[in-house]
Amino acid sequence: MTARPHLYALGAIVVLGLLAAFGLREAVVLDLIFTLLLYAVLGQSWNWISGYAGNISFGHAIFFGCGAYASALCVTHGLTPWLAFPAGALTAAALALVTGFPTLGLRGHYFSIATIAVAALVETFARTTPWLGKANGFELPIASGWAALQFPQKGPYVVLALALFAAVQLATIALERSRLGYYLRALRANHAAAASVGIDERRCKLIAFAWSAAMASAAGVLYAQYTLFIDPPSTLALAISIDIALIGVVGGIGTLWGPAAGALVYVVLAKAVALRFGGAGKGYDLVIYGAIICLIAALRPYGIVGTIVDAIRRRRGALA
Amino acid sequence: MHARRLSALLAAAFALAAIGGGGATPAAEPPEIVIGAVLPLTGPLAQTGSGLRTAQVLAQDLVNGHVSYPLPLVGKSGLPHLGHARIRIEFADSQGKPDQARAAAEQLITQQHVVALIGTYASSTTATASQVAERYGIPFLNPDSSAPGLTTRGLKWFFRTTPHDGTFAENFFQFLADLKKTKNVAVKRIAIVGEDGLFGSGASDAEESGAKKAGYDIATRVAYTATTSEVNAEVQKVKAATPDIIMQASYLPDALLYMRGYKQQGVEVKAILAQDAGFIDPGFIKALGADAEGVFTREVFSLDIKHRNQAVPLIDQLFRERFAGKPLDGNTARDFMGVLVLADAIDRAGSTKPDAIRAALVKTNIPGKLTLMPWNRIHFDATGQNDGGAGIIEQVQDGKYETVWPFDVAVRPVIWPMPAWKR
Amino acid sequence: MNTFAQLLVGGLLTGLVFALVAVGLTLVYGVMDVVNFAHGEFLMLAMYGALGLALLGIGPLLGLPLVAIALFLFGIVVYRVFVRRLLAGPPEATVFGTFGLLVLLQGVAQATLTSDFQSVSNPPLQATLRFGPIALSQATLVEGIGALVLTAVLFAFVEYTETGRAMRALAEDRVAATLMGIDVQRVNGLAFGIGAACVGAAGSLLMLSYPVYPTAGAPFALTAFVVVALGGFGSIQGALVGALLVGLLEVFGGFYLAPELKLVPVYVAYLAVVLLRPQGLLGRR
Repeated sequence: MTARPHLYALGAIVVLGLLAAFGLREAVVLDLIFTLLLYAVLGQSWNWISGYAGNISFGHAIFFGCGAYASALCVTHGLTPWLAFPAGALTAAALALVTGFPTLGLRGHYFSIATIAVAALVETFARTTPWLGKANGFELPIASGWAALQFPQKGPYVVLALALFAAVQLATIALERSRLGYYLRALRANHAAAASVGIDERRCKLIAFAWSAAMASAAGVLYAQYTLFIDPPSTLALAISIDIALIGVVGGIGTLWGPAAGALVYVVLAKAVALRFGGAGKGYDLVIYGAIICLIAALRPYGIVGTIVDAIRRRRGALA
Repeated sequence: MHARRLSALLAAAFALAAIGGGGATPAAEPPEIVIGAVLPLTGPLAQTGSGLRTAQVLAQDLVNGHVSYPLPLVGKSGLPHLGHARIRIEFADSQGKPDQARAAAEQLITQQHVVALIGTYASSTTATASQVAERYGIPFLNPDSSAPGLTTRGLKWFFRTTPHDGTFAENFFQFLADLKKTKNVAVKRIAIVGEDGLFGSGASDAEESGAKKAGYDIATRVAYTATTSEVNAEVQKVKAATPDIIMQASYLPDALLYMRGYKQQGVEVKAILAQDAGFIDPGFIKALGADAEGVFTREVFSLDIKHRNQAVPLIDQLFRERFAGKPLDGNTARDFMGVLVLADAIDRAGSTKPDAIRAALVKTNIPGKLTLMPWNRIHFDATGQNDGGAGIIEQVQDGKYETVWPFDVAVRPVIWPMPAWKR
Repeated sequence: MNTFAQLLVGGLLTGLVFALVAVGLTLVYGVMDVVNFAHGEFLMLAMYGALGLALLGIGPLLGLPLVAIALFLFGIVVYRVFVRRLLAGPPEATVFGTFGLLVLLQGVAQATLTSDFQSVSNPPLQATLRFGPIALSQATLVEGIGALVLTAVLFAFVEYTETGRAMRALAEDRVAATLMGIDVQRVNGLAFGIGAACVGAAGSLLMLSYPVYPTAGAPFALTAFVVVALGGFGSIQGALVGALLVGLLEVFGGFYLAPELKLVPVYVAYLAVVLLRPQGLLGRR
């Protein structure tokens, strides 16, 4: 499968995004676009470990949190938040390697629950450690300009998110066509056979996990610079990990465009439902969201993109 | 495949634009002044948010109405200095999340063109929403968030009417000092117990520094996670510390676990001073029955202060009619007052320009008797914090919460010490 | 010394409460390889059910079997309508399918029952019992005994009944079991239903000590997942052992470390066990 159509699509999205960033004035729409792109990045980062590598993680928020906290720490120590990109990525990757080394060999559910355990430990650590702000977290002071990575308007944020999204998509396109990508696919198809051909499962998955963590961290940096407030519940909580996982899954695990589709559904749905039903405080939005996920799980488990890809394959007559 | 993907993208972009564009309101009949309110209308705080909204709408209706009460700007058929323009509150949902609150504030400012913002209950959402207001130069009135840090950020456009955790902790120590004078009560050792989230840790920090300042010994400080299913170790720690009193900040499920634990393990203290939340939840006395007797809790508001302002029971009645019979409480009363304070400032400004409203807010000086609250006054200090606010202290007596302090608003005398646990 | 004894007893009793919640979960996993992430919400529904009965004047003694039966039927319905389809899909489907169920059930509870904390007035069994220096409440003791009874009953069921044997067969080797003529769908459904019934019993007992609200089940469920993984997915004895261990770690961790860190030893222990013995303490494979 050539990369060209995907590159065209990505290019189209970037162009559209830039048009929106420079052309639109409505803060609300730009905010939606930014959120959408950020979730797509998070979903794709999750996709690397849970989709391509096949180890479903429910603790992915901690890597997002690495970036967010790195950003906050940089700012409160008078350093430029740009430093948070490498610092957060390195921390996240290190965390992934350290926690992944022992746990990536675990089967299915054991790994997922291990990720919950690790995430809970990280969250507890942040919540009880003074220099991480404990329960108060950090509020970033208002600043302006590229050096401070903060802008009064939304346009530059959208551009940055777009850049991150494009980078992550390109990396994923590369992954799919790389040796690592093939190894991962082989591992998913049949552990034993792959091992017998000499594929080092642990090494492959660790690499994927580390990259996955670094990407999520980058999203965290942007988030911190955008929201200007981070604390454990908003960056490290289980709920965030679950959201990320659901975006990946609804869109289609292990597919290139799945996370973007999942993010789109999530943002549009959450916003639309909140607008429609929100006011009463009744939780209708949860009911609808939950129902949709159940339906997708039961009827179209490969997610949106997975189903589309499946349909295309079948029409082409290719063997699955 | 290209076409499908491209059209899907276009559809998505269109949908996004439609959602964004759909928020704009059509031109209203003049003159109308729009205030933006960011509240948790969905999510875990939705229940509270719904009550807050009801209270704010009630205030809005009273300002626009012609029935008078001894409250600022009520019953004058709108804002007199602005040609009797009516106020209208536009609500946006924070979902209880800081990033959503930010988006909501921005939506209100850029789409609904509100002249001021009010909200948002949870301190973390208030932090981000008020940052947005600061950036856009729009006055932000916070009636209900208690984290002390909100008014130490050096913001120019942020005004808070409610007392914060620091003040509430001070109230505890003033209470103890008053008790020492009048009842000759001796307290030396204080155990501080609090859940480790924003609420509990803020309260515990304030209690600890207040205790140190007032010269008390801190017997122990216990922080725990609110969702815990047991408190064996915590209760043992408190017991081992042999405190005279316990100061506690907990939600309902944990408050119950602790109370039962204290009883079972025989933790006899002279008093438990609680910071609201779980200890004033209706489920507290319900579940504990006689074991709740004697517990003190700080409160923000009480219907008992009706002798200070006769509007209290009247507003309470109006509120009950609109909110399924539930009475006015600390949260709803504060939000109700918040709208009035804001309307009053806009009226005094005689203009909808942000600078004018801000200047008017700075000059606010509403005597406590003209509010529904047990406050001395509403007057903002240099940091935007109301320096006239205070809490009250209630005690569970005969299965009901009775106001016992300050002594001039008390309806019952203090029972000290707490009755021993009934075996 | 007294403190130590009290902590020991407290830890064991806490562990029994966790076991109460965990046994249903491990049965379902053992039989059909499904971790029901909505387990906490089943617990929440059971608590609401028990509360409703209590408000009608039906006490926990009669209420427990009623709630257990109601949850049993609910479990079977959920299996037939939903879980069965999930099983037909890729393995991730059961994971996020049951997550969707979690969100849905919480939303339904919030929409219909509000997020207020609900409880009975003057709940029963609140008196304190004393055994020498040890003090505990009647409710906690009842919960503990209930957990032991439930575990024993479930174990006996799985060991000695025809259906139980069928479940074990499925757990061991699905293909072979089918070839032996076991009706997979029927046994799966029963297992799911029984798992739900266990949670039903748990909820009726827990209602004595905890107020009910839409997310009440979540913390218990989280601990249950760790307990089940620690003890070994599919092993009922493992769930009991794992639960007791977690209870002790939590309580002693809270006292000797710090209360806000009390789950740290639990998670660390989980990770340690699972690394050294990936199938859990008493699990198979």
